Amino acid sequence: MKNFVRNAGFTAIAAMALATYLSVPALAQDTDYPDGNISITIPTGEGGGADRDARAITKVWAKYLERNSEFSYYPGAAGQVGYEFFMKSKADGTHLMFSNIGPEVIMLELQDVPITIGEDLVYIQKTSTEPMAIWVGANSKFETLQQLIEEAKERPVTISVSRLPHPASIGMLALGEATGAEFNLIPYGGGNPTAMAAITGEVDASALPLANPITLGPEARVLGIFADENPVPDQTGNAPTVNEAAGTDLPALTSSRAFAVQASVLEEYPERVELLKKTIRETLVDPDYVAAVAAAGVPVEFIDPGDQEAAMAEAAATAELATKYRDLLTGE
Amino acid sequence: MEYDLATVSGLFGHAFSMWWIMIPAIMVGLVAGAVPGFAAHNTIIILLPLTLALNVELALTFMVSLYCASHLGCGIPAILVNIPGTGGAAATTLDGYPMTKNGQAVKALALCFVASVLGGLISSIVTLFALPMLSKVGYYIHSVEMVVVMLFGLALIASIAAQDMLKGLIAGAFGLMLGAMGADHIYATPRGTFGFLALFDGVPLVPALIGLFAISEALVMLEETTLVKQGSQSRGRVTWRESAKEIFHAFTYWWQIVWTSILGLIIGALPGAGASIASFVAYQQSLFFSKTPEKFGTGHPQGVIAPESANNGVTTGTLVPLLAIGVPGGSTAAVMMIVLQFHGVPFGPRLFVEQPQLAYGVIAVMAVSYIMMIPFMFPMVRYMSRITVISTVYLAPFIVAFTLVGAFVPRGFIFDMGVAVAFGVIGYIARKTGYHVAAILIGVILGPLIERSFLLAMRISGNDPMVMFSSTIGNVLWVMLILTLALPPLMQRRRAWLERQTSKSHAGPDA
Repeated sequence: MKNFVRNAGFTAIAAMALATYLSVPALAQDTDYPDGNISITIPTGEGGGADRDARAITKVWAKYLERNSEFSYYPGAAGQVGYEFFMKSKADGTHLMFSNIGPEVIMLELQDVPITIGEDLVYIQKTSTEPMAIWVGANSKFETLQQLIEEAKERPVTISVSRLPHPASIGMLALGEATGAEFNLIPYGGGNPTAMAAITGEVDASALPLANPITLGPEARVLGIFADENPVPDQTGNAPTVNEAAGTDLPALTSSRAFAVQASVLEEYPERVELLKKTIRETLVDPDYVAAVAAAGVPVEFIDPGDQEAAMAEAAATAELATKYRDLLTGE
Repeated sequence: MEYDLATVSGLFGHAFSMWWIMIPAIMVGLVAGAVPGFAAHNTIIILLPLTLALNVELALTFMVSLYCASHLGCGIPAILVNIPGTGGAAATTLDGYPMTKNGQAVKALALCFVASVLGGLISSIVTLFALPMLSKVGYYIHSVEMVVVMLFGLALIASIAAQDMLKGLIAGAFGLMLGAMGADHIYATPRGTFGFLALFDGVPLVPALIGLFAISEALVMLEETTLVKQGSQSRGRVTWRESAKEIFHAFTYWWQIVWTSILGLIIGALPGAGASIASFVAYQQSLFFSKTPEKFGTGHPQGVIAPESANNGVTTGTLVPLLAIGVPGGSTAAVMMIVLQFHGVPFGPRLFVEQPQLAYGVIAVMAVSYIMMIPFMFPMVRYMSRITVISTVYLAPFIVAFTLVGAFVPRGFIFDMGVAVAFGVIGYIARKTGYHVAAILIGVILGPLIERSFLLAMRISGNDPMVMFSSTIGNVLWVMLILTLALPPLMQRRRAWLERQTSKSHAGPDA
């Protein structure tokens, strides 16, 4: 009995010591968070639009978070590879995903990916939002969207797109459906080759997020924008909206860059997520960040400090669109 | 921009004044090129915090010098230990490594360096004066034409298979099959990935390259005591005079360097094309025009010159779409564009209007980088060839360890080390059973590229196969391709017939 008491006492003391040992670093960890660089997963290749935008924001974000960022690029299967690898990374708020909500939610809906938005992964903070646009190269014969649509009623008009699961692709399919025009979508697997195909005349036109033709300057001519109004008329030659030009009633098609974390991080480390959100929002209004965005050739009007609710609502709306156009996008 | 002597000398003078940043960049580039896995774009990404902190001109100078040097450096392991660290160096192994085994490592290194430096220098100078014309190449060469251009490279399988057609074609088809693994280009449907996420983006090129060549070679190497074949002249210590002699002798191949580097420049200027395609096409064309095609693959100097000068011709070509149009043509140019954007520098035609000194200065920096590499050639030729005298007992394990790290570096996946080992085993079995690993490799490298262009062309045409014959340039290229394939056997038959006739006429009177 004595031995039992002694052993039980020893066990209790040991358990308390162990609990103290385990809890102290956890507490210390929270006050120290983040105690190292932030790892950022980009589900596309280096040198693309996501890389450009991620570097612009993290440059200024370091001022508020007092930590630098490290980037990992996982291109492949329209972003699936990046998402799946991200889900395997440490879920403690030190690993973030820099997402492009539009195309990536469509990919998650259409491909066999074991990730459910909301249940497994949450977009916690938007950084920018831009509408999709139809544009042509500077040497193209098409001056207006109406001309392009008229031609597409006579023959299939080729449109370069970054990938089939993309809001711009959905926009073109919806436009074709509404006007009786036939658009043949050609996926080039990335913004740069997609733009090059339109500039060099391999295809008739291109559909990409609006920042792409804007950064190309005089090499590109914007014909129409999938939005309720043109957010940057002076940078797009006062291009009309698609609905204005084509007389349609299509929904606005946008895509937002946003930071995401594993859903478990929200439950286990809510204070860390709050810190991330707060510092990102501070960054988005910082004049240095605004200057960095302008320097990259991206309109500052696209900066969008949309919160978690707005980001998740956009993801839900995009998923609904993907379901609607599933057959056309998957070739099934 | 008007090209008078003062302007050009001003550009070059300014480029030379940045020697203090170019020399370290060249040294980093040479090491990055020589270490498998550290290609130029990987290294530039790793060093982005540095380049983003520099002013834009210095940043571009640093990146461009590093990029050029890495293309020179990647030939070193390809020649000495059969490790092509990049797709662009894969063709160099075909004759470079046999030269090393024949005891001609010094000569092979000299050929590699001279071809790289001269090829890069020529293509830089051509670009400086012909940039507007080169920028138009992309407007005429689209997916259809790219399919035919890449078929020139694929035609090498036929040449390799010449000695044993069935085995050569099986090896080539096996390579194409491996190259088809990964998500498809249109619907991103996974094919042959066996559920491995790491294979969704296709067979990783560097692990496949170094597995097929280096690991299998290391296994074969252990069967001998030295790298160099018994009976071959092996020089452990090479004097400065001998190094210089080989370097100067390499300049006698100047004409082949000129045309293969320009071929590399044109292919490099095409969006999406790169060093892998250029080096294989240059090798194949050199074989076609050579007076001694039968020597290719056995350690022929022309087989080292062609891929190396084309590989370095690509460096300037890759920058053409970025500079002239504003869209990067390859991964390295894409990373360079990030730096330009970060500093708020316009690119494309606006760069030439708003900052012409910077736009043309980049090309001048490339030319000067190659000039600055000349002094590096002599010690590299002299000392690096000594690796061939190391006993294979030490060299083989070192190669395996070195290449496994190289397989890991590009993507950071442990899985890729397994891929390298698997390809090493495939390569070893292929060597032991008489299947040419180069034929497998050509399929792995060019297969996905051809498939992509083919699918794009077909989709643009609405799945009409006649699209392949719908363009004038494409049709000219088809004719050239057919001639390339048909003429060598016809010429060979004619030579054999002539020889028979000659021997008959000689035998007639004697009999």
